[in-house]
Amino acid sequence: MLHKRFLMVFAIVALVGGFVFAGGQSEQPAEDDGVITLQVQHYLDLADNVSASNFQELVDAFHAANPDIRLEFDYLFNEPYHNKLQSSAIAGQLADVMFLWPGKRTGEVTGSGAIKDLRPWIEQMDAEFAPAALAPQGANGEIYELPEQVTATHVMFSNDRLMDELGLEFPQTLEELIAQGEVIREAGYIPIAMDNGDGWQMQSCLLSALVARTGGREWLDAARVGDASFSDPEFVNALRVIKALYDNEMFSPGINQAAYGQALTDFVTENAVYFIDGGWRTANLTGEMTDDQYDYVSYHVFPALPQEPGIPDSTAVVAGTGFGMNADLEGAEADAAWEWIYFFAGPEGSAIKAEQGWLPAVQIPLPEDSPVLTVKLADFLGSTPGGYVIDAVMDAEGMGVLHPLLQEMMFGNVTPQEVGDRYEAWVAANDSSRS
Amino acid sequence: MTASREKKIAYGMLVGPSVLIYASIIIFPIVFSLVAGFTEWSGLGVPEFVGLKNYTRMLSDPVFRLGLRNNLLIVAISVFGQIPFGFALAYIIYRRMVRGHDFFETMIFLPITISAIVVAKLWNQIFSPAGLFTQLMRIIRDDPRFVLSVFEDRTFAIVPILFVILWMYTGIYMVIFLANLQRIDPGVIEAAVIDGAREHQILFRVVLPQMVNIVFTTAVFAIAGSLKSFDLIFAMTGGGPAHYTEVIAIYMYLNTFKYYNYGFGSAVSMMIVFLSLGLITAVQSVFRRLEARYV
Repeated sequence: MLHKRFLMVFAIVALVGGFVFAGGQSEQPAEDDGVITLQVQHYLDLADNVSASNFQELVDAFHAANPDIRLEFDYLFNEPYHNKLQSSAIAGQLADVMFLWPGKRTGEVTGSGAIKDLRPWIEQMDAEFAPAALAPQGANGEIYELPEQVTATHVMFSNDRLMDELGLEFPQTLEELIAQGEVIREAGYIPIAMDNGDGWQMQSCLLSALVARTGGREWLDAARVGDASFSDPEFVNALRVIKALYDNEMFSPGINQAAYGQALTDFVTENAVYFIDGGWRTANLTGEMTDDQYDYVSYHVFPALPQEPGIPDSTAVVAGTGFGMNADLEGAEADAAWEWIYFFAGPEGSAIKAEQGWLPAVQIPLPEDSPVLTVKLADFLGSTPGGYVIDAVMDAEGMGVLHPLLQEMMFGNVTPQEVGDRYEAWVAANDSSRS
Repeated sequence: MTASREKKIAYGMLVGPSVLIYASIIIFPIVFSLVAGFTEWSGLGVPEFVGLKNYTRMLSDPVFRLGLRNNLLIVAISVFGQIPFGFALAYIIYRRMVRGHDFFETMIFLPITISAIVVAKLWNQIFSPAGLFTQLMRIIRDDPRFVLSVFEDRTFAIVPILFVILWMYTGIYMVIFLANLQRIDPGVIEAAVIDGAREHQILFRVVLPQMVNIVFTTAVFAIAGSLKSFDLIFAMTGGGPAHYTEVIAIYMYLNTFKYYNYGFGSAVSMMIVFLSLGLITAVQSVFRRLEARYV
């Protein structure tokens, strides 16, 4: 009998123990022989060889310079990254350091109190950064991530060799651009390579820049809080430009089916005369193109619209992504996390990234041997005014309404005015800026 | 301790762990989703009770209704496509109506052994704007801007996905039917042949009545599987363009994990459960009648 009771107690202890240990435990920064180990959750597509090897170069340089800090990475990309970040935050098991967005993309997590405000560290070196990079990210001016760059989400790249071949010059107006379409298509090329299968590209890389022209920052500020409406001509006129481009077959065929990256391939393989994407594509172009190609790729903004009451000849800019740290980190662990955050976005990491084709947020002179396209991007950013990127200032859920509406508009199922009206209806009822 | 008490303790010890595990990974999430479905909750902070608001919002959302329509089409292609087609293939192989039946059996079953993600990427490589079929058609038609416009049609964008689903999952039903056909006593069929029965009489009078229960089981599998369809479609189109190929599971995923509406997403997940139960109950009642007639 005693034997049976012992077995029963043993079984219960084993069962309870199993459940307890199966529940897991948040991993804490480990200190071993003076080496601090940090778990880092990073946003990286490991299948993108250029990005993966560029990032590894940074990590190797950091480890060489900081032998007392060891970084252990967990890599995810696209939605899986955001899913894990969100679920980790809910479970109270965030990594020590994580990749974050300055706007609303990771706003639920950064606004939850789970991420540390970096201002106490940043205040000591804020003069090193471009002012736009250190714009407030939280309701009370908090900065949760140190941006690695200031991003232009709209660049209209051109292949000047193809333009010479076709006897074209970069168009000054929308009308001239559309007129070039027939010449380009007849020669067998794509007028404007763009992919919008995921839905965000059209909004982020073109519509935002067009709204900066047709409305400007003041108008979008007013629309956010309800003093203007997305049904207004300022927004609808920008939509009409996209519709006109689509109807005139200016975009890549099947643009709304194409996965992100298809347009880049078409431009690199010289099947397209123009290519609209973000400035971040400079790193990919630097990695994928030949030296000869660098010389005949130019950076422009979209040609002038018939009316530009907002910011003429503008792009759309936003503070870039970067690393932040878990609010639970204190003392040596927090300092170690900052070492990496600052290395990544600061002068040391930026010098490495500048050679890889990135234009950093930190204000350092570009190295003389910087890639040609990085220099072109720097010139572009230095001379081009910027408006807001819509998805950086409006709720992410609203983008789930706007992006499909843009696709439906191109398919001809809704008019530009209906897109504006329906997005306005959603914003008025749901967007956090209006509440 | 009495023998009966000892028996109870022994049962408890043997069954208890399984019940606990089942409760924690099946019952608890369902109950949790049911409760969360009545709240507004971003996943962080305190949920706010909102009653049936999530359900009314869901039912009035055209995107949900489009997803529901697509799901019902998938149910239809599964129940009225995969099952009859799977049975027909199994019957052809079972009755040795073709040569090389082992080869056909392997080929038909092959798609189900491949990951849904790989299948999705494979078909994308064929039909995407840069895909093999598209490039081929551009050459044949001498039209460098040719793309498959069906993907951009609100009504028919789901059709290519239905085709892939039919191609992919028919094999599993074929194997289930084949295994059960092989359990039929060959003597019964031989007797029918000796009695002069024709092939259609063997099929409808001898074989099919013995398959009613299996058809019911496969129909339940098909319905439950169809309503939770996610991986293949998400990898193929992500529900796009413009929600045209969205199904309820993708709608739930986007609302829950992309827009942080955990309460709303829970209500959508409960809707999938309710729809499954409703459809399975309907199928059960149909099969009870068939059973009464044939068995």
